[in-house]
Amino acid sequence: MKLFKNNRAATKFFRHPLVWPGLIVLAILYLIMFFAEFIAPYDFDNGNRENSYQPPSRIHFIHDGRFSLRPFVYPYSFGFNDFFERVYVEDRTKPTPLSFFVKGDKVKLWGIIPISRHLFGTKSEKNSVRFYLLGADAVGRDLFSRILYGSRVSLTIGFLGVAITAILGFLAGGISGFYGGKTDWLIMRFAECFMLVPSFFLMLALRSAFPMKLSSTQVYLLIVVILSLIGWAGFARVIRGMALSISKRDFVTAARALGASDFRIIFQHILPQTLSYAIVSMTLTIPGYILGESALSLIGLGIQDPQASWGNLLSAAMNVSDIQYHPWILIPGLFIFLVVMAFNFVGDGLRDALDPNR
Amino acid sequence: MRDELIRRALVSIPQLLLMSFITFLFIDLAPGDILAKYRFDPRISTETVKQIEEKYHFDKPVLVQYGHWLWRTINLDLGYSFSREAEVTGVIAERLFNTFLLSFFSIIFTWLIAIPLGIYAAVKQYSWGDRILSAISYFGMSLPSFFLALLLMFLVYAGRDLPFVSSIPIGGMISPGYENMSTSGKILDRAAHMVLPVIILTIGALAGLQRISRGNMLEELRKQYIVTARAKGLPEHKVVYGHALRNAINPLITLFGFEFSSLLSGAALLEIIVNWPGLGSLMLAAVRAQDTFLVMGSMLMGGVMLIIGNLISDILLVIADPRVRKA
Amino acid sequence: MRIISVALMVIVQIAIFSGCQKGAPENRIQKETDAVSGINYAALQEKAAAFVPSIGKSGGEIVLSTFSDPKSFNPITSTENTTTEFTSYIFEGLVKANGVTLLPEPNMADTWSVSNDGLVWNFHLRPGVKWSDGVPFSAYDVEFTFNDLIYNPAIKPNSSRDIFLVDGKKIDVKAIDSSNVRFTLPFPYAPFLRTMSQEILPRHKYSKIVKSGKFTTTLGIQTDPATIVGTGPFLLDSYVSSQKVVFKRNPLYWKTDSAGNKLPYLDRVVYTIVADQNAELLQFKRGEVDYLMAKGEDFPGLKKDEQTSTYTVYRLGPATGSNFLFFNMNTGRDQSGKPYVDNVKLSWFTNTNFRKAIAHALDKQNMIRIVMNGLGYPQWSPMTPSEGFFYNDKTTQYSYDMQKAKEILANEGFSDKNGDGIIDDKDGNTVEFSFVTNSGNNVRGKIAEIIRKDLEALGMKIHYQQLEFNSLVQKIDNPPYEWDAILMGLTGGVEPHFGKNVWHSSGGLHMWFPRQQNPATDWERKIDSLFDTGVKEVDTEKRKIIYDQWQQIVSDQLPMIYTVLPERILCISNKFGNLNPSLNGGLLHNLEYIYIK
Repeated sequence: MKLFKNNRAATKFFRHPLVWPGLIVLAILYLIMFFAEFIAPYDFDNGNRENSYQPPSRIHFIHDGRFSLRPFVYPYSFGFNDFFERVYVEDRTKPTPLSFFVKGDKVKLWGIIPISRHLFGTKSEKNSVRFYLLGADAVGRDLFSRILYGSRVSLTIGFLGVAITAILGFLAGGISGFYGGKTDWLIMRFAECFMLVPSFFLMLALRSAFPMKLSSTQVYLLIVVILSLIGWAGFARVIRGMALSISKRDFVTAARALGASDFRIIFQHILPQTLSYAIVSMTLTIPGYILGESALSLIGLGIQDPQASWGNLLSAAMNVSDIQYHPWILIPGLFIFLVVMAFNFVGDGLRDALDPNR
Repeated sequence: MRDELIRRALVSIPQLLLMSFITFLFIDLAPGDILAKYRFDPRISTETVKQIEEKYHFDKPVLVQYGHWLWRTINLDLGYSFSREAEVTGVIAERLFNTFLLSFFSIIFTWLIAIPLGIYAAVKQYSWGDRILSAISYFGMSLPSFFLALLLMFLVYAGRDLPFVSSIPIGGMISPGYENMSTSGKILDRAAHMVLPVIILTIGALAGLQRISRGNMLEELRKQYIVTARAKGLPEHKVVYGHALRNAINPLITLFGFEFSSLLSGAALLEIIVNWPGLGSLMLAAVRAQDTFLVMGSMLMGGVMLIIGNLISDILLVIADPRVRKA
Repeated sequence: MRIISVALMVIVQIAIFSGCQKGAPENRIQKETDAVSGINYAALQEKAAAFVPSIGKSGGEIVLSTFSDPKSFNPITSTENTTTEFTSYIFEGLVKANGVTLLPEPNMADTWSVSNDGLVWNFHLRPGVKWSDGVPFSAYDVEFTFNDLIYNPAIKPNSSRDIFLVDGKKIDVKAIDSSNVRFTLPFPYAPFLRTMSQEILPRHKYSKIVKSGKFTTTLGIQTDPATIVGTGPFLLDSYVSSQKVVFKRNPLYWKTDSAGNKLPYLDRVVYTIVADQNAELLQFKRGEVDYLMAKGEDFPGLKKDEQTSTYTVYRLGPATGSNFLFFNMNTGRDQSGKPYVDNVKLSWFTNTNFRKAIAHALDKQNMIRIVMNGLGYPQWSPMTPSEGFFYNDKTTQYSYDMQKAKEILANEGFSDKNGDGIIDDKDGNTVEFSFVTNSGNNVRGKIAEIIRKDLEALGMKIHYQQLEFNSLVQKIDNPPYEWDAILMGLTGGVEPHFGKNVWHSSGGLHMWFPRQQNPATDWERKIDSLFDTGVKEVDTEKRKIIYDQWQQIVSDQLPMIYTVLPERILCISNKFGNLNPSLNGGLLHNLEYIYIK
């Protein structure tokens, strides 16, 4: 069961101009997602209200006219001017150095391994002076940290959703294509039901079936299930088409003659033939799922505050006054854009490499 | 062919209803009492609550309830919206057209722009034009529509004093002074309000369609009959537009159904962000209020619109491709 | 493609860093501790009271915006604010509250007298008042409104009835002749005069409908506007669902200006229905809408453009209404004997010191800074300054002091006994409970987030969520009272007695423990008696003392812990004359005098 039928396909894949950038971006994103608690200077819910909507911290090298090799930041505070615009002021008497591997919030990597050192941060007592790489949100939480924690949701939900979709699709498509006839007709008509309602409407309808009051884990799992229900039918249809034609091949007839059970034929002989298509399809479905979760969280039906997902981080940006004065709240959207684009690149590359026609 | 179409359409109906049943099942199994608001309102008598209960058979098992809902639906009565205190059918009818408008204009613009761009890119493959278009394509495909919406809304707000930008409204469907406008004024006003949402939807759909049409054109142009046509001395534009294009478009028409589905979804989401009074924003409000009948009705309508879209695409395919006609 | 996305990120970073320049110390920082310091409210109010409207000219319209459609046009059966806002244009009462002083003034009644024992009121109706269809207004309309509508048991829901049942007894309403009405009260009812702003409906239009039992469905949103007859300054012209509600001048309106010209000056009042705040803001800035109630975060953008554009921004002090936190103190049991609130939680919630500790833990300053962009006020009492005379500004205040809060809790036996970071009560139970607010209200949601963090900072374990408004109300009001802590809001009012349903222990809106048979605590008993005496005390000064006490008790016992109030920020186009900004009435209290300059 090799992914690339031959070396030529593999070479084609890696030579595709967009594949390397895509793979690199994905690698970086997933790496930082994996080590989110370590890379994020602050816990996702740890905000300092004094720093509400603070713009990204400016990094200084010169203090009191003296150059310092080590970069540092000043503590910020804010007040209002006559127009009640926020005015942020740096306290230039307290240079606080930045460094790597600083002691910070006590968090648990993946909820299991306790750590207190973070990749970078300020050396200050109890986080009194904070370093906001990408600015702060309304209650003074570090946007960069929240984006990292949010990546846990946004980057994994696609995979889990696609995994379930694949299971459902392989099962339905394999059985349908192999048996044909009435079974095929029934299963395909059933699958088509799911394609008859536009995904957004189906998503909302399924979500409404469950109470609004759910814990974060429950919502997460619910979204995974809903997403997979939306995508499985299209996938099943194609697998069925492929299974149909593969079933007619000689080696299948031979296997049957040799007394292999249907089950074995489908799962050990037919479906593996569909693998390369399946992988391309799944890679190209993941971005859709990521967008689906983001949309749900954006409109308030998905992950709820204080938990973070890139979608619900963006929901703070639905107000033009807020965008005008604190444009950094749009950055989570950029992250969504990056990951979707990266998956599209890789998916396209895979498709070009594996498609016998090109 | 006609029979095939009719058969397809007819099968869609029970499929849609099956979908509605599954959803109905889910919603019914969900905890919570839809009549709670009325039951506990001291001003509404228990008799009234009982009347409502009986009318909608809330006290009976799920299958019976669904059966009644089904019967009412076939009679075009989609039930009562408890959150809006009005008939569901009426509420949806108002909004349906609005969502349809957005999707319709987006599809038209998408096709009008994507196909020529795709042709251009295919004909001038690997040129700078092609590369730039390709880049913009990836961009457009990957940019989340809601993100683009926020960006554009903000840009329009920031540039509200600039000459052209000042006439673009953010959000809503008509201006406050709508009633007093002349007919042409009214049309212009509605058009102006559609500018932002349609642009956003079109950009999203455009990118994908452009790439596909480029791909299809490229495939066609490689085929044997094209080589033959060229060898026979046919002028290039006849080769491209007269022959290759016609064949390249067919697969696109089959995609129409998918495209319409994703456009409807996109429109629904967008409506919520730019506050366009359509089916999407209606459905969100219904979900928040856990207003079962309204949710089911909206979902059903979304499905019906899609079926109609698919039908149209099937008909278009028949018109465009003689091979299908013969089958 | 990769380059483009990287470039974009770089551009964004540059934009952000350059945006940072605005944070340079050169900008003056105003003292942001108290929004009141910038404005002299006393002077504002003096000026408003001394205002004399000039003679205006007829014509033009004012365009306002509203968030939702009206549910009906029936002032008797409606319970929503949007509806009553609209019906108040069409239907009026015998008396009207002055927009500046809040005192009841003659409206459709021009004089009245009251007997010495305070029980018999005679109202003389202003001569010459006609309904908009020409039929003369008479005392029989008043009699009809009370006896056949308000007191009619067949009409449900009936929002006014509660106010007009004094101690459960009806007021006797009798038309002496066509110009005089007599009200006989069962006992001296102090707020009575104020209640006479009750909308009066025409007998000749509705008496038949009432007899046929169809009144509850009358005056719904489908009603033909031409059939709605009123005595108010404006009449319903048209209603287009989700789009607009239009009112047009009532040519037969009785009021005239000092030169004898007919009022109102404006031809039309147009409400556009805008559900989107971004759209509303932009429409106002573009002049498509004339009036805006702005939020704190919109203020900078609006104020900065004020000089160069055609509108003015007014700050008018704290808004009315409230946002408060309260706990479930219900000691009742269900039919099987199971208590609604388990004993452990009940022991915390009913402990006044527990509530006081929490009051010290609420970071109101930051609620104002963060949620309201600095334009807000801390609230310490059930009433607010803009509600006028009965407001008690000397109630107990609780400083934001985490240290003190923790000490109080420690004294009550709350501390972390098992080292898990969550405090436990004196019996070792983990202090863990749910905290809910209603969804769909951004401001309240943000305040709730801050409260959640504050409670967690005290070491409590909080389960926070948002519920849809109706579901939440239903939980609060009815068995099995399944909730622990809630952040909610109520609209305000000038007359404390109208909040009786909330404050009397037998009331249905007695949020923390509704419909008690007997008051559960001494202080609730005290409040009950204050309300029982206050409603009968005719001497206003003595009433003030009574209701001051009520507010004092609330601030000491904290059944509802008040949070913050937004500033009322009203913006209006400069084209209007006779504007009289008032702390209590806003900008549109004298709408009939407003004209286009």
